[in-house]
Amino acid sequence: MRAEGLTAMQLDALREISAIGAGHAATALSELVERTLRIEVPTIEVIPIERMPYVLGGPEDVVGAVYARLTGEIEGGLLYVATPDAVCKILELLGEECTHDPDGPDEHLAGVVVDVMGHLIRSFLAAVSAMTGLEARAAETSWAYDMAGALLEAVVLEVGARADSAVFVRTAFIDANRAVEVAMFFVPDPESLGAILTRVGLA
Amino acid sequence: MNSPAHMKARLEVDPLVVEVAVGGVCVASHPQSLTTLALGSCVGVALWDEGRGCGAMAHVMLPCASQTTPDRESARFASWAVPELVRMLVESGSDPRSLCAKIAGGAAMFRSNSTTTPVGQRNVAEVRHQLEVAGIPLCAEDTGGGHARTIELHLDSGVLSVRSYRLGLRHL
Repeated sequence: MRAEGLTAMQLDALREISAIGAGHAATALSELVERTLRIEVPTIEVIPIERMPYVLGGPEDVVGAVYARLTGEIEGGLLYVATPDAVCKILELLGEECTHDPDGPDEHLAGVVVDVMGHLIRSFLAAVSAMTGLEARAAETSWAYDMAGALLEAVVLEVGARADSAVFVRTAFIDANRAVEVAMFFVPDPESLGAILTRVGLA
Repeated sequence: MNSPAHMKARLEVDPLVVEVAVGGVCVASHPQSLTTLALGSCVGVALWDEGRGCGAMAHVMLPCASQTTPDRESARFASWAVPELVRMLVESGSDPRSLCAKIAGGAAMFRSNSTTTPVGQRNVAEVRHQLEVAGIPLCAEDTGGGHARTIELHLDSGVLSVRSYRLGLRHL
């Protein structure tokens, strides 16, 4: 099912599901840092998967990314992407010190980011599961810190053999001191996208 | 209109550097150079004809088209792009026996527990196979690892510059 082939109502439903998922993720993050975080109203687009490497700026811009392969009744992938600055802000939210090392966070700090992002991914999926009645699990989460074009392309190649459309969510988690801008790509494979739309009565 | 930022942006686009798109192929000759950006698991294939100071480059994404792929003749696939590079250079007047190849990319950007061979490795294997079939020697390569690469082929010297955040600049 291609992004271009979705009806306005189906697009709205996907945007709604993703917005609720992002809201749950913000709540999960608030609990983790033990203070209230607001979430900026997310911008949500459904894009053809080939466009993924081009929507975040230059292909050579460095980003940090956490990728989760999805298994269960919703298969595909989910990717969180953050600029080096946003990666630092996430670490600061968690009380870690960010060294602004050009090579990116060291193994310990990368592990911290993966844990947080993994938590956000699981909350997003739990919300999607609750709304659709479809079980969705993150099979494994992996971390990379490098050129955006190369990372997004790698994801396109892993899920792109099957998936056609990606839900592209941009939002920010805000506390008193900072706004942490994050981007997320939710890439269900075509059968899973069909199943999601069936469950919300829009197939 | 002509703000400094505006001028700077215009000057930074060097008309002598030909950018090969993801899944694309291009031919150029000196004083031009060929570049392709942010190779991850993709492989950049550069062919150089020393005598003519010209060359060709591809940014391949996958080894081969599957049985069901509608556009099998696409430079996204190594199986099609490598013979196409040779064909384009021969058409422009090169002798295939005078060509030499340099390749870079084929990294694994995300560590994975998957047991299947990573796409980067399969890309490199297919590019090597296609070069062998075409009888083009592989003069240098910088493949594998876990980092992204941007490459530029200088058509006067045949040097392939490989740039990465992790390892800086290398010349092949």
